Amino acid sequence: MSSDALPSRPAENAALAFLKKPLVVALILIVLLLAVGEWLSPGFASPGQILRLLIVAALLGIVAAGQNLVILGGREGIDLSVGGIVSMAAILAGNVMNGADGGILPAILVCIVVGALFGLINGVGVTLLRIPPLVMTLGMLGVLQGLLVVIRNGIPSGRAAPGLSDFVVKPFLLGLPGIIWLWLLIGLAMAFLLRRTVFGYRVYAIGSNEQAAFMAGVPVKTIRVSLFMLSGVFAAIAGMCLLGYSGSSFANVGEQYMLPSIIAVVLGGTPLSGGKGGYTGTMAGAVLLVLLQSILTTVHIDEAGRQMVFGATLVALMLFYGRAKAMRG
Amino acid sequence: MSELIVRGARKAYGATVALSRGDLHLKPGEVHVLIGSNGSGKSTLCKIVAGSVKPDAGEVLLDGKPVTIDGPRAARALGIGIFYQELSLAARRTVAENILLPAMPVKGGIFVDRTELEERTARIIAEFQDVAGEGFAADVTVDRLRADQRQLVEIMKALASEAPILIFDEPTSALDRAQVDRFFEILSRLKQEGRAMVFISHRMDEIFSIGDRVTVIRDGATVASSTIAETNADEVIRQMVGEREALSAESKPPVPATAGEPKLSVTNLNGAGFRDVSFTVGKGEILGFGGLHGQGQSSVLRAIFGALPHNAGTIEVGGKACAARTPAEAIRNGIAYVSGDRGRDGTLTGRPILENVTPIHFLRNRLHLARTGALATLADAPLKALKTKFQDIGQPVNSLSGGNQQKVVIARWLIDRPALLLLDDPTKGIDLAAKSDLFQLIRSLAAEGMGIVLYSSEDAELLANADRILVFNSGVVTRELQGDDRTRYNLYHAAYEAA
Repeated sequence: MSSDALPSRPAENAALAFLKKPLVVALILIVLLLAVGEWLSPGFASPGQILRLLIVAALLGIVAAGQNLVILGGREGIDLSVGGIVSMAAILAGNVMNGADGGILPAILVCIVVGALFGLINGVGVTLLRIPPLVMTLGMLGVLQGLLVVIRNGIPSGRAAPGLSDFVVKPFLLGLPGIIWLWLLIGLAMAFLLRRTVFGYRVYAIGSNEQAAFMAGVPVKTIRVSLFMLSGVFAAIAGMCLLGYSGSSFANVGEQYMLPSIIAVVLGGTPLSGGKGGYTGTMAGAVLLVLLQSILTTVHIDEAGRQMVFGATLVALMLFYGRAKAMRG
Repeated sequence: MSELIVRGARKAYGATVALSRGDLHLKPGEVHVLIGSNGSGKSTLCKIVAGSVKPDAGEVLLDGKPVTIDGPRAARALGIGIFYQELSLAARRTVAENILLPAMPVKGGIFVDRTELEERTARIIAEFQDVAGEGFAADVTVDRLRADQRQLVEIMKALASEAPILIFDEPTSALDRAQVDRFFEILSRLKQEGRAMVFISHRMDEIFSIGDRVTVIRDGATVASSTIAETNADEVIRQMVGEREALSAESKPPVPATAGEPKLSVTNLNGAGFRDVSFTVGKGEILGFGGLHGQGQSSVLRAIFGALPHNAGTIEVGGKACAARTPAEAIRNGIAYVSGDRGRDGTLTGRPILENVTPIHFLRNRLHLARTGALATLADAPLKALKTKFQDIGQPVNSLSGGNQQKVVIARWLIDRPALLLLDDPTKGIDLAAKSDLFQLIRSLAAEGMGIVLYSSEDAELLANADRILVFNSGVVTRELQGDDRTRYNLYHAAYEAA
């Protein structure tokens, strides 16, 4: 028979457990990769270069925030449509502002509404129509890609307002651009949402055991729909920032975010089965991935090669977590 | 012509002895009834014969020769076929395919011989065709059948094996009268062919209409075996209960005076698995639900809690109508529900103890912010009251023992006291110390005026803790036991008589 409580752990074990935390692992890897980059190409770890990496990581990290929420909610939660929403938001925002600062606020509103709307459709499909998230959001990605083609034939790609571009690339406060501050703010908001609100407790509850959560009065469907909506909104915000980063939107600009947003979440310690993990790890995961991408570019591995490395990383992570699970049981 | 003898079979799962001394003497040309209360070990004995459970000790003789049955295949090779209580059908395959699944006719080594399949199954299906009801045919997939039709397919599957020894573990639980009659006609014919059959049923009328011999199992041991002619229903129940306990009333709690408005009043409640259920629970009363497992007790509790639909009848909690459609609604109306199936309905696996205790508090107080420190203080009192053993309220709930996990689940209902507590076999799989802590708490909650409904599959637990017992049989309440009537004998009598 099992004992009544866990035996107390010696201090060395506690240290080992600390080192095994995904967040700690990710941070160590980040330092390691920076060193490798600097060794491969001197100047890789210079402050200016690191800042540029952080901007790119922020874009990915914002998309991954929504992905993280959907995955935490369990029942095979995943959002494959984020890339499509990023592209859609970039195009819509570019057309709404069309190079004028006065258009920024309306563009923000349009992006948030559109992101929430696509998220709502995803959420309704998954909860009420009981379509598996993988299928539902993949279908949504197809719909978005089709819509993008239609839109692109009718209207120009649009230009970012100077104010938006400055926000993303120019120093804003303490030498850091606005997008870094936005990302930190999102990080704080996510931590608060997940750890200090009833909503956060309920997200973990449905992710850990949906039936038990339902029997404890948790509004399972409302929560799940909200998660998909938040994912849509985060992707849309990222799409707008991406427009600011690149100046104008181009075809399927957001597609590059689908796989990395999932990998960042898993790297950060949130298993694909949901119910545990958090956003702090995901932020580290996003930085790690962008670093990896940058190093691959430094050693002249092209886009195709990078995609292969990313795919292989995800599979390797799955193997690692699968093993950890089997060992627990 | 096969004669099967099991002697001294024993099987333990960890510290739990499922079967301590199982004896069975099965002769050719007889229907041998195996009877015993919930968890007495009869299913374990059947599984040993069918090869799906390996005994720790004891011997099995087939036609006088000792045999080892080390798997379902080996059992089939020895001529033993079994009807499983837990239906073992392939849902997406057709009736015909399911019937011949254990022995699919094969053509050319790998291909299914369709003609042979159709011919052989047609014969078997024809025997039940007129009682099987609408929508039953050889080419219908099993997932489109009703519960009784699935049970018929399972019976046909056992018959198709044409084994000289057949074991039927509760084959009639979902069947209607006509279907049972047809099944019995076929059993009689097989008997004349000289086949030996083990028949498990909880319906006394069936046992005495089809059985030739009856073997009684109590607490994991075979206690009696005789021909049907030599015994009667009363004697069988007495043997199941044990002479010593048959009439002695067990330590009974004092029955509190129930005054004023009842906490719960249910009138003519109907739903899947139960019908016309009416009862009231007084302030401070512990009402017991008894009877065999799965007679509707659990479904009634889940329907009151809003986790299962009901299609007719009224539910009043504290004098107010409360037809909850979701657990959340029931909880807001002051109803609490504790399931015995912790893993499915209770624990938020992998989450801290704190998060497992707080959801009801959030809901009842319509909170939006979670202040960890304040919540930990709130959660501490009920956890202490239940004597829950843990080191840190932040440790994952699944690092605790089963009994302590169940205490955590119960504690979530005690931060804000409910008016009504529904306990659905709450002590399943938890240790004795935890059980005693639990019942102590339940008694004190009742003393505070809470209304409590306790369903337990353990009769001793029910007799020791319930002020009044409703006995369920096939979805209806067949008897109410009060005062000195609360004896094991009366409980079994009501549970086993034909409904």
